[in-house]
Amino acid sequence: MTTRVEMKDVNKSYGDNHVIKGVDLKVEDNEVVVLIGPSGAGKSTVLRMMNGLETTTSGEIYVDGQDIAHAGKNIDKIRENIGMVFQHFNLFPNMSVLDNVTLAPIELGKKSKTEAQAEARTFLEVVGLTDKADAMPASLSGGQKQRVAIARALAMHPDIMLFDEPTSALDPEMVGDVLGVMRRLAKQGMTMVIVTHEMGFAKEVADRVVFFGDGKILEAGTPTEIFDHPQHPRLQTFLKQVLEA
Amino acid sequence: MKRKWLWSTLFAGLMVMLGMSLSSEPVHAAQKTYTIGTDVTFAPFEFADKNNKYVGIDIDLMNAVAKTEGFKVDIKPLGFNAAVQALEAGQIDGVIAGMSITPERQQKFFMSSPYYQSGVVMAVAKGSKIQSLSGLRGKKVAVKTGTASADYANSVKKKYGFTVVTFDDSNNVYDNVKTNNAQACFEDKPVMQYAIATSYKGSLELAKNFKMASANNYGIAVKSSEASTLGKKINAGIKKLKANGQYDKIVAKYLGDGSEKSQAKKTAGMQETDRSFIGLLKSNWGTLMSGLGETLWLTVVGIVFATVIGVLIGLLGVVPNKFAQGLSTTFIYIFRGLPMMVLALFIYSGVPTLIGAKIPAFIAGVITLTLNEGAYTAAFVKGGISAVDNGQMEAARSLGLPWGKSMRRVILPQGVKIMIPSFVNQFIITLKDTSILSVLGLLELTQTGKIIIARNMEGFKIWAMVALIYLIIITLLTWLSNWVQKKVNA
Repeated sequence: MTTRVEMKDVNKSYGDNHVIKGVDLKVEDNEVVVLIGPSGAGKSTVLRMMNGLETTTSGEIYVDGQDIAHAGKNIDKIRENIGMVFQHFNLFPNMSVLDNVTLAPIELGKKSKTEAQAEARTFLEVVGLTDKADAMPASLSGGQKQRVAIARALAMHPDIMLFDEPTSALDPEMVGDVLGVMRRLAKQGMTMVIVTHEMGFAKEVADRVVFFGDGKILEAGTPTEIFDHPQHPRLQTFLKQVLEA
Repeated sequence: MKRKWLWSTLFAGLMVMLGMSLSSEPVHAAQKTYTIGTDVTFAPFEFADKNNKYVGIDIDLMNAVAKTEGFKVDIKPLGFNAAVQALEAGQIDGVIAGMSITPERQQKFFMSSPYYQSGVVMAVAKGSKIQSLSGLRGKKVAVKTGTASADYANSVKKKYGFTVVTFDDSNNVYDNVKTNNAQACFEDKPVMQYAIATSYKGSLELAKNFKMASANNYGIAVKSSEASTLGKKINAGIKKLKANGQYDKIVAKYLGDGSEKSQAKKTAGMQETDRSFIGLLKSNWGTLMSGLGETLWLTVVGIVFATVIGVLIGLLGVVPNKFAQGLSTTFIYIFRGLPMMVLALFIYSGVPTLIGAKIPAFIAGVITLTLNEGAYTAAFVKGGISAVDNGQMEAARSLGLPWGKSMRRVILPQGVKIMIPSFVNQFIITLKDTSILSVLGLLELTQTGKIIIARNMEGFKIWAMVALIYLIIITLLTWLSNWVQKKVNA
């Protein structure tokens, strides 16, 4: 098994405010890792460090063996291999759905325009939105937008996909469609790191669940270990609160 | 496609500008051409007649001297102050504008031998009780900036206890007396005679108990470096013209035998006959339209350059590089902070003394617009880009697109939409701001208005025409931009 992502003693501070405190984390190939924890625990920050959207104060991060913190211009090449899905979709509102998906492959010279468009339609089929190819993002529902965002990330054929609370901004009835697409990706063996509050989904698809509290990893293990036999008192409180809600 | 159109327009603008600056290079003819600055509002020495042709004693004399001595002159009505400043900066070769020969001027320039003897007289509102200096205690006296009359007023104001108010244009001086904002004015005798004989017939008169003061001689100022060439020729020319009687003919043409009556008769032929709004509009239509043409040309060239510079500087402000951002901020800070008139005068009169090369007024005007309007453009370009959601850049970068590509394909198209109303606004402001460039003597709409008023003194009607023309053009521009905005947003 090859290691896709490796974080070693990663720290981040804003002045005196120490927000990430010595995080060590490994993500293996084909593994699905779910990050859970209360708001402000540092899950999203850690996820965004994996593709260099957040800088670190100290520590090392390797993606496929390449140092992210000191990548320089090489960061763009590394990012081509890491798909990112945001809480607020961040679709490009000035382009059609099809152009959103084909922009990167065409601009980066991966594919000709016709190839890219043909392939984009198959990705739209994967996420169930073939009929929306020519629509503008503003005309889509939240769930549709997020599925387009996933297709857009897949168009670069990444080996790793990062999901930053992909269903938090969705109406409840839209959540199922997005989780369905993610479930299929997981089954196909995509390496995934997911920040989510969907505990049922985490339990179902995760190979490993990591619990964050106060900028640190407080507990990590299989879904059974984390959800059925939580050890850390903070994790026990957290699960109680989430399940009662 | 839209983007291509934008860039090709900007490029075309650059090429036009380049072509223009090349074609404005002096053509070397057999006879040397000297550029002579003059005033716009100093009848009967220089003023535009009803056909907008420059006439007057100075103009005729200068042309006659040039003809006798075998050189060519390009006479530019810049306004008195602008002309003197341009001469100091070496932008022009000489000034003929009823300039009194003073020791200060003799130090700075080469002053020709005297060609006309004048002196300061006092004028008051018709029927005024004040008819002498002693009646001025506690009153206001209007004079024109930088003239011998102003010097005289300042030298006696303590003794007679009056305050001096100064204006750039003669008609403002007279109007102040007419409306009783000032109770008297001092002016060169022939000029005052001319004004009373033409447009202020019923409203002003010469003070009866005032003896012509500080008799002085008018001379032609020449750039010191041209003293031995142009200066020498001018002195020789004046001497010849006085000897062969041509000089007397020129003076008589404008002043007759020197009396008010004869002067009025002589100059009537140069004035409009129909003084109604429509009549004035008809007779000045061509002049106003040529002024409007210059205004529009300045606006278009100014907008093209200001947009190019503004977009570049604005982009520098968002590049992730401290030095570039600092450069952008400093540019905006300086050129947004400077009043445009100061900037214009600095570029036109200040910079040439430093670099030792002339800057034509039009080029100076365009540079001024480029820097000033460019700074405002840069500020809203920067703002428009910053207004695009941060997540857009993050999403583009996460796909592996480099910063430049993300900016060009994702951020800018969205930012430009945000900026469009500001662009429209800036275009309208640029059009209006060209009026400030009248200080450089550019014959744009505002300066044209000033010149017409200098001749016929019909301030209210002419300024109303000028204001209307600006409003009509701005209305058209607003309609056009609304239409463009609709197209873009469709």
